[in-house]
Amino acid sequence: MLNSKTIRRFAGLASVSLLLAACSSGGTDSKASGEINVFLIPSPSSTSIQSFIPAFEKETGIKVNVSETPYGEAHQKQLLSYQQKAGAYDVAQFDNSFLMPFCQAKAMLPLDGYLSKSSEYDIADFSQSQQDYGKCNGETLGLTLSTEPMIQWYRTDIYKELGLKPATTWDEYFSNAQKVQAAGHGGQIIGFGPNVSWWWMTMVWSFGGHLYDDALNPTVNSKEAIAATDFLKKLMSVSPKGAATANSDEVTSKFLGEDIGAMINYSGYYGSVLDKTINKNEGKIGTAPMPKGAADITHLAGWNIGIPRDAKNPDAAWKFLEYVLGKSNAKAYLESGAAAIGRKSITTDADLLAKFPYLAQLDIPSSSRIERYPQIAVWPEFEVAAIDAVTQVLNGKSDSTKAMMALNEKLKPILAKEPK
Amino acid sequence: MPKRMKLTRPVGQFTFGAWALLAVTVLIPIAYGIYISFFDIKLSSFLPPQFVGIDNYVSAFKAPETWATLKITLWMMVLGMLVQIPLGMALALVLHRNLKGSKIFSSILITPMLLTPVAVGLTFRFMFDTDLGIINWLLDNFGIDKINWLGQQTTGIFAVILVDSWQSVPFVMLLLVAALGSISPQLYEAASIDGSSARQTFWKITLPLITPTLLVVVMIKIMDFLKLFDTLFMLTRGGPGNETTTLGLWTYKTGFIFLEFSRAAALGVLIMIITAPVYLLWRRSTKEMK
Repeated sequence: MLNSKTIRRFAGLASVSLLLAACSSGGTDSKASGEINVFLIPSPSSTSIQSFIPAFEKETGIKVNVSETPYGEAHQKQLLSYQQKAGAYDVAQFDNSFLMPFCQAKAMLPLDGYLSKSSEYDIADFSQSQQDYGKCNGETLGLTLSTEPMIQWYRTDIYKELGLKPATTWDEYFSNAQKVQAAGHGGQIIGFGPNVSWWWMTMVWSFGGHLYDDALNPTVNSKEAIAATDFLKKLMSVSPKGAATANSDEVTSKFLGEDIGAMINYSGYYGSVLDKTINKNEGKIGTAPMPKGAADITHLAGWNIGIPRDAKNPDAAWKFLEYVLGKSNAKAYLESGAAAIGRKSITTDADLLAKFPYLAQLDIPSSSRIERYPQIAVWPEFEVAAIDAVTQVLNGKSDSTKAMMALNEKLKPILAKEPK
Repeated sequence: MPKRMKLTRPVGQFTFGAWALLAVTVLIPIAYGIYISFFDIKLSSFLPPQFVGIDNYVSAFKAPETWATLKITLWMMVLGMLVQIPLGMALALVLHRNLKGSKIFSSILITPMLLTPVAVGLTFRFMFDTDLGIINWLLDNFGIDKINWLGQQTTGIFAVILVDSWQSVPFVMLLLVAALGSISPQLYEAASIDGSSARQTFWKITLPLITPTLLVVVMIKIMDFLKLFDTLFMLTRGGPGNETTTLGLWTYKTGFIFLEFSRAAALGVLIMIITAPVYLLWRRSTKEMK
């Protein structure tokens, strides 16, 4: 049995430990010591942000602590932290597809107050559609950390050799791919694997369809969505076999490393074009706007970055965001290897355009309807159901009409769960 | 002879540490998992959790994905065992004969078992790549068309079984080698004197005597397949679509992709219920072995 002396000793030791722990946690309080904790997701954007930290610390005296978490668990970790109101992060990078869950959870601090006063950030330097990119219910919850529309990529050498021009319509795109394939190359590539939903929804929008209506009823059984799914399958016939399982990264590495005529993918992958270990076709990669279907749409993706509502030091966090993403450092930020941010002053800069020709694709015309990841909290479940249905079509286990009808039914209970 | 140790304290005090550790790491998480399966906890919702009774279980039973993924799990289990047990047995019989080079052979065979499943899965993913993979390159040299290994259900399941077998056969082999080693050589001598053929010796002596170990192997493999995750995740991520998604992977998707913790907990409990009889059988077979 433990005697009272032992218990007293143990209690004494525990008290000292608790006291020491309390002192040490007080010492790392970010507000008291002018520190901020920045949560980043490994990406070129994250690497670029980190390259600005030494200069920021020197200029402001604010210490920046960075924690990086891989994409697969980053948002889950953030949600857990926000639920606990732990105040663990002052700045957090997130994927735009998580804007709605964060918005519904009131996890992020609206930045409009800061934006209206900041000439350094200069929100007017963004087109309206891009100003809206981080908005939810009229409030800006995240700044644009990268502007990544889905664009057309093509091999300039192959297209020149065959006398082809970048396609302006999907029919042209398919016809180009057929000609490239007939000449002995891979016709085109998109990802028919685990990320097929990205291309599928792009096609649905481009063909004039929608995934759901304003009342959150699924509309993937529309004739536009069925035609889009059919076209997606048709594209398989002009794609290399490996495209069947390729995810978005693999699509890019195949296009840049193999002999394939064209690709539809996010502009954010341009960093890989500059990477000689990935790009075996240096100097032969061209970009053009995505071909148009019945509707002129731009599928816009990209990172956001914001300040969590429970941040301990939001003012210092804003200072940091303003410093890294403001107008003064915009060029340096791009040149440090990050995916570009679609500021008008960047996308129209002649010097930068000469260096990064794809920037022209980021200057999205106002006539083009912006579509982004569905802003619904049940999107992950919706997406898995859609991938499953589209795969059935691609594998020939079902036809587009049957699969889309079934998917529409399957999506009803999923969308019904969306918090109103 | 050493003096018999006298216990001066109740036995409970000696086992308390182990029980506490077990409670913290196993019992409490299981109990908590069961508890939250009766609520509607979602990571994306900051609303207070509502008690929903058995709704999560009802929806799990009603969901076609539960049955589809269970079917895939069972297919993988059956096919996997059909490959792994006969192959492990054959290798064990070869090694048991103590032929020249057996030790080096067994050391080489054991190597896959020592590798991280994630690394193995990733390596094989590259090997199975349709355009650049070594497997299709080899087939191409024999004039066989490229196979889309990971892009179809049948070949995807085959690939997963192949990779899992590559890692698991040595384990089966090791257990069976040990079982074979425990059979008295006198039995074989007696059989030989009686004029028993090799086939008769195998069916009448070897197999009956290693059956308890075989049962343990089968039980372990069943449990392994029910919780198969890492290799599968790296190889196919359950794709194309959900066509190679097992019940375990579906539970992961429900919890960590859909962020529906309570629904995932209910699926976890269902897996536990499915595994329980296997565990009981395993306990019984290990008792028989003793």
